[in-house]
Amino acid sequence: MSTAPIELEQPEAAEADPLESADRPWTTIVWNDPVNLMSYVSYVFQTYFGYPRTKAEKLMMDVHQRGKASVSNGTREEMERDVAAMHGYGLWATLQHD
Amino acid sequence: MSFTFRAGPHRTVQANLEAVEAQLLAYLFGQLLDLLGPAEERAASADPLAIELGLADLGFEPEEVAPPDDPALARLFPDAYRDDEKAAAEFRRFTEGELRSGKRGRAQCALESLPQDKGGRFDLDEEQAQCWLGALNDLRLVLGSRFGLQDDGQEPGADLEADDPLRAYVPAYHYLGYLQETLLEALPR
Repeated sequence: MSTAPIELEQPEAAEADPLESADRPWTTIVWNDPVNLMSYVSYVFQTYFGYPRTKAEKLMMDVHQRGKASVSNGTREEMERDVAAMHGYGLWATLQHD
Repeated sequence: MSFTFRAGPHRTVQANLEAVEAQLLAYLFGQLLDLLGPAEERAASADPLAIELGLADLGFEPEEVAPPDDPALARLFPDAYRDDEKAAAEFRRFTEGELRSGKRGRAQCALESLPQDKGGRFDLDEEQAQCWLGALNDLRLVLGSRFGLQDDGQEPGADLEADDPLRAYVPAYHYLGYLQETLLEALPR
């Protein structure tokens, strides 16, 4: 994806530019674990993310049945905040580049 | 009417515990604090039950950014990046201290709000109820890790040897789950 006008000289090939990849969205993944209660996971999604109960329960069921769910998207810094918050609640979370 | 947790007025939670329940919880919250405790307090913990539980003699090196060796601590402070050790170490360097003090604070707050010897009825304000929720969950994560729980189908404690002293904690694990579920229902929304 490049929207740069062709009149401008581009010093680097776009696909090799690390600055461009830094702008792409990151995602927070919550993984299934055998300890956390389903009701607790749903509570955390409602409380921390402010998701309505139906969305929180859908995400919780995805975690439970599919083993993981993507629960938020944003910049790397935002996702690091979300992951740290999930760890605070005791959920097993990681972030990754989409 | 008998209850363990129920919604009280002004977003409080009312709690009601038998003396033996309060004593067990005081012990377990104390063990969680020992597990989370700073390195210089490690040597002071010589409680034989704590050693049995594997909750003692575990600590934290502030300069260390590798995942904790103890699986229970590694579960409480997991890697934030799956396939990038360097990024995971950087994340750990900047977040683990705060995470640890948050968990320690909640365990301490839960312990202090508990009538430790006699049990009975007591009220939790909104913040204390959150402390209980977090501390109960952390305790279950620690015990689940000690039991070697990895998959949903595993029966807690089923993989322990017959003479493993951890077996004594299987009922506590189920009890903590009951408490957490009941507390969730009593929390203000």
